[in-house]
Amino acid sequence: MSDYILQMKNISKTFPGVKALDNVELEVKKGEVHALIGENGAGKSTLIKILAGIHKPDPGAKFYFEGEEAKINKPIDATLKGVSIIYQDLSLFPNLSVAENIYIGQDSNKKPWKKINWKNIKKTAERALEELEVDIDPNTTVERLSIAQQQLVEIARALAFEAKLIVMDEPTSALSSSEVEKLYRVVDKLSSRGISIIFISHKLKELFRVSDRFTVLRDGKYVGSYQTEEIDESKLINLMVGRDVSYEKNEKEVETGETIFQISNFSKQGNFKDISFSLKKGEVLGITGLVGSGRTELAQAIFGVNKPDSGELKIYGNDVQIRSSADAVKKGVAYIPEARQTQGLVLEQSIINNISLPILNRMRNKLKLIDRKSEVQLAEQYIKSLDVRPALPDLPASKLSGGNQQKVVIGKWLSAQPKILIIDEPTNGIDIGAKTEIHKLLRRLANDGIGVIMISSELPEILAVSDRVLVMRQGRISGELGIKEATQEKIMSYALNSGNKDESSEVLNEPNQVSQGV
Amino acid sequence: MKELLKQKEISILAIILLIGAVLSFVSPVFLTIGNFLDIIEGNVVLGILAIGMTLIIITSDIDVSVAAVTTAVAVSIGYLFTYLPDSWISVLLLFLIAPVIGLVMGLVNGLLVSIIEIPAIVVTLGTLNIIAGIVLYITNGNYINSTSFPKSFMEFANYELLGIPILIYLLAIVAIGTWYILKHTLIGRSVLAIGGNTQSSVRVGIDYKKVKLFVFAYMGVLAGIAAIAQTAYTKAVDPNGMLGLELTVIAAVVLGGANIHGGRGSVHGTLLGVLLLAIMQNGMILARIDTYWQNVVTGAIIVIAVSYDHISYKRSQDKLAKIEVEA
Amino acid sequence: MKLSKESILGLIALGTFLLLALIAPGFLSSNNITSMMFQLPEFGLIALAMMVVIVTGGIDLSITYIAALSGVGAALMLTNGYGMLPAIIVAILFALACGAFNGFVISKIGVSPILVTLGTMVLFEGIILAITKGNSISGFSDGYSLIGNGYYLGLVPLSIVIFVLFAIITAILLSKTSWGRSVYMYGSNETATLFSGVKNSRVLMKVYLYASLLAAISAIIMTSRYNSVKVDLGSSYLLQSVAAAVLGGTNIHGGYGKVIGTVYAVMIFQFIRNGLNLLGFHSSLVDVVIGAILILVLAMNFFSDKFKKAAETRKAEKAA
Repeated sequence: MSDYILQMKNISKTFPGVKALDNVELEVKKGEVHALIGENGAGKSTLIKILAGIHKPDPGAKFYFEGEEAKINKPIDATLKGVSIIYQDLSLFPNLSVAENIYIGQDSNKKPWKKINWKNIKKTAERALEELEVDIDPNTTVERLSIAQQQLVEIARALAFEAKLIVMDEPTSALSSSEVEKLYRVVDKLSSRGISIIFISHKLKELFRVSDRFTVLRDGKYVGSYQTEEIDESKLINLMVGRDVSYEKNEKEVETGETIFQISNFSKQGNFKDISFSLKKGEVLGITGLVGSGRTELAQAIFGVNKPDSGELKIYGNDVQIRSSADAVKKGVAYIPEARQTQGLVLEQSIINNISLPILNRMRNKLKLIDRKSEVQLAEQYIKSLDVRPALPDLPASKLSGGNQQKVVIGKWLSAQPKILIIDEPTNGIDIGAKTEIHKLLRRLANDGIGVIMISSELPEILAVSDRVLVMRQGRISGELGIKEATQEKIMSYALNSGNKDESSEVLNEPNQVSQGV
Repeated sequence: MKELLKQKEISILAIILLIGAVLSFVSPVFLTIGNFLDIIEGNVVLGILAIGMTLIIITSDIDVSVAAVTTAVAVSIGYLFTYLPDSWISVLLLFLIAPVIGLVMGLVNGLLVSIIEIPAIVVTLGTLNIIAGIVLYITNGNYINSTSFPKSFMEFANYELLGIPILIYLLAIVAIGTWYILKHTLIGRSVLAIGGNTQSSVRVGIDYKKVKLFVFAYMGVLAGIAAIAQTAYTKAVDPNGMLGLELTVIAAVVLGGANIHGGRGSVHGTLLGVLLLAIMQNGMILARIDTYWQNVVTGAIIVIAVSYDHISYKRSQDKLAKIEVEA
Repeated sequence: MKLSKESILGLIALGTFLLLALIAPGFLSSNNITSMMFQLPEFGLIALAMMVVIVTGGIDLSITYIAALSGVGAALMLTNGYGMLPAIIVAILFALACGAFNGFVISKIGVSPILVTLGTMVLFEGIILAITKGNSISGFSDGYSLIGNGYYLGLVPLSIVIFVLFAIITAILLSKTSWGRSVYMYGSNETATLFSGVKNSRVLMKVYLYASLLAAISAIIMTSRYNSVKVDLGSSYLLQSVAAAVLGGTNIHGGYGKVIGTVYAVMIFQFIRNGLNLLGFHSSLVDVVIGAILILVLAMNFFSDKFKKAAETRKAEKAA
């Protein structure tokens, strides 16, 4: 018998125009937690989709399960080999019960007229939930569960399948810190029972916490597999990026001017409470906190798309009411959302149409018709100044890379000449080179007099760009730090529950969110 | 209990009871068994088609060709009558042939939607045009009346068991059968699953194309059965008799709580939706409301129902507090 | 050279025209050409209205009843002794009221268009029935009947001039105004459009208002041409207008659609209807042909997309 539960060799995948994977291999031992890491676009998800039977690899690929060669052509092939995959966006059915969600798929190679055995479904689900030691009612529908609970349902499904290998794709990205800790414990338990786990994450600390071994991919190529204990963080980054990267902390004390933006007592039921802060000219204000602390909700409330219950807002000392996003644009507030592809850009439309969208009314000639020439000029201007590549104004935004898409979104909002720019997770899903570029750009904008509010989970990014840091926890501001006094440890202690000293100090030594932003 | 009250079906039932209460004051006839049987028998066709449409809407598709398919099967039945001997075997044979004719048309829709990936509304719009055109061409718009029907079929059509018309049993069989499929078979659960999340269904190995093919094929079969019911009820084949019925069918399903975006819907909900439409119509006749106002009321109720449903949905979404804000 | 979807459709329209000119006797006769020009505008306007709605990713099932109700409005005015202008204004107002109602429920309450217009379709039909008691209203002034039957400069049917005018207006509104741009952007991605400071609900409201305006113009032409109005005025155009918009290249999920494509599709429908008629085909077969063309074109789209993708993949594999 082989030591390996899974060996994938010679895996290549060509998409039209791109070679997503080039001769990659992946070997996972029985009972180990194997981390799969790499930057965005390194090929992690493509590799997993090939393992799942969703993508077909180029000819020549070989799969071995427990030493025996196997073919994976359809999702069911992988399932039958004991592979369960928990995708980042989960594969649940919100309209079905927890029990059915856990059981579903077990019959998928049976006859369509097969009678459903509800007793068996319930028993299977209960057993799986018990094994996980979680208290979820198998009869509730999944849409009523929190994300963390939904994830547990997915893990329970894998257990019910008697999975030998569970793949978790960025499982902690939507979890709060206490939930993350719980998940780690579940992972430990699974591996102690002999189940192998492939853990995909870009949070490096996380990998050191959970994994036994890891495999690094870079630009679709296999870099290598290593024992986790043999390596340290900076080496790991070097492997991922191929060079040393670290941000420098923003040490420069900026001369900040008048207060240009101020909100007081912003509250919204179930979102945030009693938020007050101000922003000075030339300043970058960083807002951080754990996922689910209310940062995005607050930003959208300021922008007028998530109406607050109460609160006042002042721009340059004047009371301003923002009731809609159109109001926000008129009053000089711009918001760049985190979900670039669904909220930031109209992907099918051209760069031109995206950039001019907020200011279509200012693009009109005397006849109130859109002046295409000035529209093109506008787009070209921002393509040039932000160095968007390829520099083709007519190209649909969907054809651009993540970094260039973000530049188009930024260009779109710069065209509106905002006084205040709120940017939510500015470098999410963007490769390292483009990240530093965007950081520099944000600083430059602040120097030019635009008030920049940057929301980010990545503490190195917060420290590199902000002049002042607000930390949110459970819908409230739990701390404010000037950049000089700010450290990752201090920020984390505000972001976590400071009431519980033990837990916070434990995490202080090992701050989860402190990734190198890759 | 609270769970139960939250269900859409309960609020439809409440509306039905309310209208029923008002009507029983307005007209003493309303609360008679005879009237109820009349209401139900008169809506068997609508009910059967709406049950089939429920499955399609659960998968977030739509079929606007149902009335045309039903008419086409009915016309085929009408022509078949000339060849069939006058015997109960003919009636049985009919129950084999009509669903198969419907099935073939349903399969065409299903193949175009699932394999060729043309949006269902466009496909069924196209087949509606084609089928309705052919029917009109062949029949020239003429009635086929009961004189050419075999006696055995007329006996079947007029048959009552325990004082209840046979067509009502037919509806009951279709309803129970479909409920069983939806609740207790793998394919039925797959229908709900792909309506809930198509991507997830692919990942757990459900072949959503097959499921889509199934719902359209099943709709075809039910259209075949509905054609028999229509022929038995009207005792004639009218090529124009069901013009525009598809939209009433969709309205009944939507009133019954099915979500046009998929994932939600039930046989009993749809039956309540049909009942609501039927009672309103019956009630307005009994209340001697000018028939011309009936559509106004029906239309208003549809608009109010879908608006109310959407508003309460939005409210419930808002209430799902995303963040536990510290007090 | 790569042709746009619309130019290919234009060539198909031309091809259909030429083919029918060859095989259908009398297709090219001036009588026949003018009769086609008289028939086309009413349907063309409804199809344009439907197209604008479909570009937002919606559908308007009530559009033909809006037209019918608007026609009833005009008829009531005319038969009660009012002049042409007040009648036209009332027709437009009736339609706009319907459009505003649709627009309100869709844009402010947020209910999906197919559900709302399914309800309002029944509702508007009911209102017409309540007003007309199911009868037709007829007997309008000679002046009014000129709109649908008269000639411009004694040569071109007036109604086709009106149609061309509104087609141009629609094209300009869609491609040159900020409203039109927002319509496309909304149809592609409503969230991103909202997050770009566009007032989505206002954009949508205007869409349903504009569609009902086009329906009103169509209604005026129809009532004038038939010299009467009934509840089913133009109702056969409902599903045909969706077919024309889709055949014209409009994306049923929203975000794409051009006036010229829809106009070509309307022309193709008109040629076929007329040509088959001249060839002695039963009128019901026209529906069959139109349905078949609709499905055929989309199936061809599907296969050509698939073919293109396969070719790209092959190329990529070869390069690799």
